[in-house]
Amino acid sequence: MFACIYGRSVSETVPSGAEKEEPSSPLVDLAFSFSPLVEKTSEDTVVFDISGQNLLFGIPNKSAADGSSTDETQVALRLAREISRQAGRLNLKVNVAIAASPDAAIHAARAFKGSTVIPAGEETSRLGALSIKRLDHSLAGVEEKRAEEILETFTFWGVRTFSDLADLPLAGVAERLGQEGLRLKRLAEGTTERPLNLVRPPIGFEQSLEIEHPISELEPLSFILSRLLNQICANLNEYALATNELKLCLRTEEAERDQGPSSVTEAPSSLHERSITLPVPMRDPKTFLRLLLLDIETRPPQAPISAVSITAQPVKPHARQKGLFIPLAPEPEKLEITLARLAKLVGPDRVGSLEIVDTHRVDVFRMTKFRLPRRSGRNVRKDVAHASPAWPVIGFRIFRPAWRAEVQTAGGQPRRIDARGAQARVRGRILCAAGPWRASGDWWRPDVWARDEWDVAVTDSTGEKTEVLCRIYRDLISGEWFLAGIYD
Amino acid sequence: MNATAIKKQVELALADRFSESLQPVERRPPETLPTGVRELDVLLEGFPRAAITEIHGASSSGRTSVLLSMLALSTIREESCALIDCSDTFDPASASKAGVDFNCLLWVRCRSKVEHAFKACDLLLHGGGFGVVVLNLGDVPAKIVRRIITPWWFRFRRAIENTPTALIVITPEASVRSCAALVLELHNEATVWSRPMPFVSENGNRAFTERTRGTTSHLSLVTPVAPRADGSGYSQFLHRWKIRVTTNRSIKFAGVTGSFEARLP
Repeated sequence: MFACIYGRSVSETVPSGAEKEEPSSPLVDLAFSFSPLVEKTSEDTVVFDISGQNLLFGIPNKSAADGSSTDETQVALRLAREISRQAGRLNLKVNVAIAASPDAAIHAARAFKGSTVIPAGEETSRLGALSIKRLDHSLAGVEEKRAEEILETFTFWGVRTFSDLADLPLAGVAERLGQEGLRLKRLAEGTTERPLNLVRPPIGFEQSLEIEHPISELEPLSFILSRLLNQICANLNEYALATNELKLCLRTEEAERDQGPSSVTEAPSSLHERSITLPVPMRDPKTFLRLLLLDIETRPPQAPISAVSITAQPVKPHARQKGLFIPLAPEPEKLEITLARLAKLVGPDRVGSLEIVDTHRVDVFRMTKFRLPRRSGRNVRKDVAHASPAWPVIGFRIFRPAWRAEVQTAGGQPRRIDARGAQARVRGRILCAAGPWRASGDWWRPDVWARDEWDVAVTDSTGEKTEVLCRIYRDLISGEWFLAGIYD
Repeated sequence: MNATAIKKQVELALADRFSESLQPVERRPPETLPTGVRELDVLLEGFPRAAITEIHGASSSGRTSVLLSMLALSTIREESCALIDCSDTFDPASASKAGVDFNCLLWVRCRSKVEHAFKACDLLLHGGGFGVVVLNLGDVPAKIVRRIITPWWFRFRRAIENTPTALIVITPEASVRSCAALVLELHNEATVWSRPMPFVSENGNRAFTERTRGTTSHLSLVTPVAPRADGSGYSQFLHRWKIRVTTNRSIKFAGVTGSFEARLP
């Protein structure tokens, strides 16, 4: 059995041309609430298969089942009224028709107002009075120009209604009008058999769940997250897609108490919203679960959670060519988890790649998220040969913050230093000093800086009397001495 | 008949059919990672992969110079490197001058917490995929380094064996002990200075600082002038190193001493 919904007001509200781009419409959504097998015949017509749903709606699977045809008609009428009632809730004015053939249901829904049920075998008698002009030739696969020619022929023959066409002899129609004529005759009889051109249900890349009892611990939450992520990843897998961004929205109990059980988006200030951007598209639920749990552990919500929503941004999966001579690099999925764990351990602002800022100020840099570098494919061996210096560059270990120092000077030259850090100390006589080198900058800003730098060799009397090479400076604004770091 | 004789008899019987399988597996020499320090590379061909290398020495002994040189070479090869900086003393400016490509370097700053540094190192080694992992404990006081328990090193050694990862540990004194495949002990033997110059340019630009000519023994540590063809325009440290190699590795050298120079760019 097939049901057809014809929206009387849909074609006026929906703009033309939207049909091909957006398969979802109110009529399609309404049809999906009754059956997963839905065909969107036109912008205002939807037909769907209702067979096999007898347990839900009380409709026998076959028309010639053991129940009488009157009972069957009554049940089908109830279903048609239920569809009309649901459409009324959505403010849709619709005609509903149920028939054994999808094309008969379509013609009935377009022709008769309200709910119509056509029992099997009564198609010709019920549709017979309809004008031949109402015959939808596109359902029979006849081109418009050819359909016009055939309809003109029918007019010459005096065929005015569906029943007139159905009464014509089969052999005569086939002889004069060919296969197209035959298909139109069967269409008028309401006996066509064809599979539905199915609409795919809307893709669920967003999953949400309301929790009856608010959750305050991570472990029970992980089960819920796992379930939602598995569903999202299954959908991604079905469409051969992946995601590079996950958005997690946790509604807390306080937010619910304040705002009432309204939709999640109404109280953005009280929600715990997190977004995880992935370096490459992935669709592994285990990786996603670990990343989300680590993120929640790093920044936990302030109250028990009463609703969870996860949204994945679908993108094309990452295609990767592996090679024998590609330099070693971590797996992107593993790296992302490792970075999340490191961020939890030492803090998110203390892990990543560094970027030197274009300024003269000393030790200014920016921490950015570590991403696997794109392989340039250049001749690495040649680059190494060019880059290899004749001797190593002197390394420098910088103290953050610089150690405050007491420096004794004689004749403008530093002679003795005593600097103390959090865990160590440099104290002793300065054997040799070079400098000063004056550096200053940012005079237009409140945090103007100016300093005289010296490179000094100190006989460290605290250790094994080794020579330590340090960079010290005098802050010209405060006049204090600092130990900037050690050459190593 | 004892077990050895029986084994020999069985091997003789099967020698024709499975001769290759019964031969002892030849141990392959360990893959090495060039350091960029010519003297070390000539002798060792670099630091061993799948093993721990320890570089220890006092402050100003050249540990960071070797480290930056090695990191520069590794990052130029587009190998992913990780630096666990326990005391947060890594200087981006000098690393940039040494040629380190920061796009390939993951920097983990541990706020002087040794426990965090070891946990971070463990995560990175077990995560896998990094060509070089550096655990920099160079500014951790020696008394704390002495308290590091040995199972950490065993765990690290186990994590990287059969992988191409090289773990470099920098400490103020020897700590890794038998778990290290290569131990490099560094000393600062001499420092070459320019004559001290109390000269201050008006705008603080170092390009105005002049190098005093005619000095024979000292160069300035910060010299802006172009180097001569023979390289004598550079400031430099002369570092002396002493290498100890654990005997269970097939590197031939033990107790070798040598020296290299590090200069300002």
